Amino acid sequence: MLSIESVSKRFRSGNYGVRNVSLNVSGVVGLLGPNGAGKTTLMQMIATITKPTSGRILFDGVDVVAKPDALRRRLGYLPQDFGVYDNLTAFEFLSYFAALKGVGGKQRVRELLEAVNLHTVANRAVGGFSGGMKQRLGIAQALIGNPDLVIVDEPTAGLDPEERVRFRNLLAEVGSGKLVILSTHVVSDVEAVANEIAIMKGGSLVAMGTPEELLRSAEGSVWAGVMASTELDVMRARLTISSAVRKADGVHLRVVSGEQPFAGAIAAEPTLEDAYLCTMTGRAA
Amino acid sequence: MIRRITAIVVNDVRIRFRRPSTAILFLLLSACAYMWVPAPSTGRTLLEINGQRAIYNSAAVGMGTASLATIFIGLIGFYVISNALRRDVSTRCGFVLASTGMRGGEYLFGKFAGNLAFLFTFIGGFMATSMLMQLVRGEAPLQPLVFAKQYLLLVVPGIVVVAAIAILFESIPWLSGRFGDVVYFFVWMASIGVVAAMTDKSAQSLHWIGIFDISGTGYLFESLRLTLHTNSVSIGSSTFDASKGVFVFAGLPSSFNLVVPRIGTCLLAAPILGVASLFFHRFDPARVRVTEKAKRNWIGRINALAKPFARMMFALAPSGGRASFARSIALDSMLTVSAMPIAFIAMIVFNVLSLVMPLKSVTGLLPIVFGALAITIADVACRESRAGTTALVRAAPQLRERFVIWKLLSSLVIGFAFFAGAIVRFALVRPAALGPLVIAIMFVCAAATMLGVVSANPKSFVVVFLLFWYVAMNDKGANPALDYAGLNGVTTPLVMTAYAALAIAFAAGAAAFHAFSLRRS
Repeated sequence: MLSIESVSKRFRSGNYGVRNVSLNVSGVVGLLGPNGAGKTTLMQMIATITKPTSGRILFDGVDVVAKPDALRRRLGYLPQDFGVYDNLTAFEFLSYFAALKGVGGKQRVRELLEAVNLHTVANRAVGGFSGGMKQRLGIAQALIGNPDLVIVDEPTAGLDPEERVRFRNLLAEVGSGKLVILSTHVVSDVEAVANEIAIMKGGSLVAMGTPEELLRSAEGSVWAGVMASTELDVMRARLTISSAVRKADGVHLRVVSGEQPFAGAIAAEPTLEDAYLCTMTGRAA
Repeated sequence: MIRRITAIVVNDVRIRFRRPSTAILFLLLSACAYMWVPAPSTGRTLLEINGQRAIYNSAAVGMGTASLATIFIGLIGFYVISNALRRDVSTRCGFVLASTGMRGGEYLFGKFAGNLAFLFTFIGGFMATSMLMQLVRGEAPLQPLVFAKQYLLLVVPGIVVVAAIAILFESIPWLSGRFGDVVYFFVWMASIGVVAAMTDKSAQSLHWIGIFDISGTGYLFESLRLTLHTNSVSIGSSTFDASKGVFVFAGLPSSFNLVVPRIGTCLLAAPILGVASLFFHRFDPARVRVTEKAKRNWIGRINALAKPFARMMFALAPSGGRASFARSIALDSMLTVSAMPIAFIAMIVFNVLSLVMPLKSVTGLLPIVFGALAITIADVACRESRAGTTALVRAAPQLRERFVIWKLLSSLVIGFAFFAGAIVRFALVRPAALGPLVIAIMFVCAAATMLGVVSANPKSFVVVFLLFWYVAMNDKGANPALDYAGLNGVTTPLVMTAYAALAIAFAAGAAAFHAFSLRRS
């Protein structure tokens, strides 16, 4: 169990990266928020890379700010924009992190390469890998010490749709039985794997709950309707549009709004994407 | 702990030895040794005292090549190894390392040991090559232990201290960038100056100041003074009087008074690493971010001040109309200046000085201009791969296939802009000096292009050129082959033809490498 209590991070410039965030984490938690919301800073504090200015982070009851090693032995971390040492092979790269984490034996490295489907290119230099392959190598290094807590920061950024789905499935598979924190600004990334979702904005936590709770909070705030494509630009300026699909009879809109946004719009069942938009625009119940 | 440190060392050595630039550097250093230890039949020798030359035994060749190795370690070695921490920051692997149970001290010691392993292996390889050279040019049987002893006494302390200083400079925010590179150069020069001054004044053996003899210069000259009883020694490709016969150099002495300061120099690494650990950020993003900001030192401030001038130059670039290769070259040159506005100020200053100073002083100024040019154009051919904009450039008209010629011509524009004043002056007053100067500019630009394309890193060229530049500067015209720009007045048509041929070979090599890369991608 990971417990974050009133954690804040203030930079030397005086700006807050994270402000007074409290949450309890169990299972797979998706951390959602736009760029600059403070997700990365929060994850870096949990990963013991940087210290909070105030507040406590407890892992199984131990304050990891005061005793970071208690967590580090049980942590797997994949930072945002993870890079690789181009001249090393996948096997060498993973062996290096295995040694640093005190994991012995080549067998574990081979197992992990197989788990992330890189065993066939184990002896190829990682500089020639695609973005998706590098990310899979990144998740392999995060899992090499068989950690109890896995933190992955924006792991799907820059991946093509196919790689994205593959990565999501991989995370769901390896995350079972572990505590996983996955940060992203893409709602569909967490939809499939997270059993709890935390939404951050401007350094603060603005919502936290199960996907069902978030969906319930958006009920009555999502509308669907059809309008002429000529009116779309006017509507875009006036409304929070969740999706717009052009069809033969006009543009099919989904809109987040506290009241009926235009004539003919009917209340619709919210998706997680709608719920996220509701939270960000302050329209969630 | 041992396992972690070993992993860091092995990792660093693998990464460094798999870079093409390491092989290039090794070949260049070996080539320098080949010139440093000339065949006596050419009228030049490695070690000379009052016209008499030393016989080529293991002690003489070992000491001579070891003294070249100390220059390499001091001047170039630091720049080669000073990216151990930066690499982990830029790849963000450092964040992962920081999230493990590894201690900061373990990490720094591992990186220090990685630096040591690289430099020892590199110099070990160089020593083996030098031994082979003795087999070819030697006049006495090879004695490997005698040979190795010269390296042990002369080079090892330098390796240990430089490996530690590199860690220190990378750990201190304001020394971790280009400012630190400049500071280090002066630290190294000062270490030579202080010890040399002490040695000149001392009638006896070196005192405690010998501990700061990082380069080994003080130890070397004190040893030669004690064993050969003279202060007038010439090491490295110098002329001799064949009629005076030869003498036997028995090797560097290992008396207590001389060896203790060398051991003391090695021990300097401990406090240096201790200070480094006080400053080490352990990849804390808040502190790394401060590090990035701190890089705005005086060079950064001058760059910021010069930006409006550079922008003015950029405004001169043709806008609108169709894309053309000439326009691409002009824009790339302007981008170089725009990215480093201080170069624009340097260009103006050098050109004004070249036009108004006495001709003799201009000749003295031009090596400095070559140094400035080298720093300015070092990243021209590799900035796209470093910034991840290769795909953007390759999508532009003509630049995919003609990338090398584009970068070469762009560098040449900068080169000729730096030397415009000198070219005008020479054309008016000393036309004979014009050819060598122009060939030298082409040679430097072609070398920068080739090393940039091959290694995808500006440091390769800076390091290789600094070594060449330093050797050429200190040669002071003794060797026509090193008078690459004809500034010492001893260059010959053959030498200039060789430099022109090298420039063409560099350009062709870069083009071949680029074509190969395109086929692979």
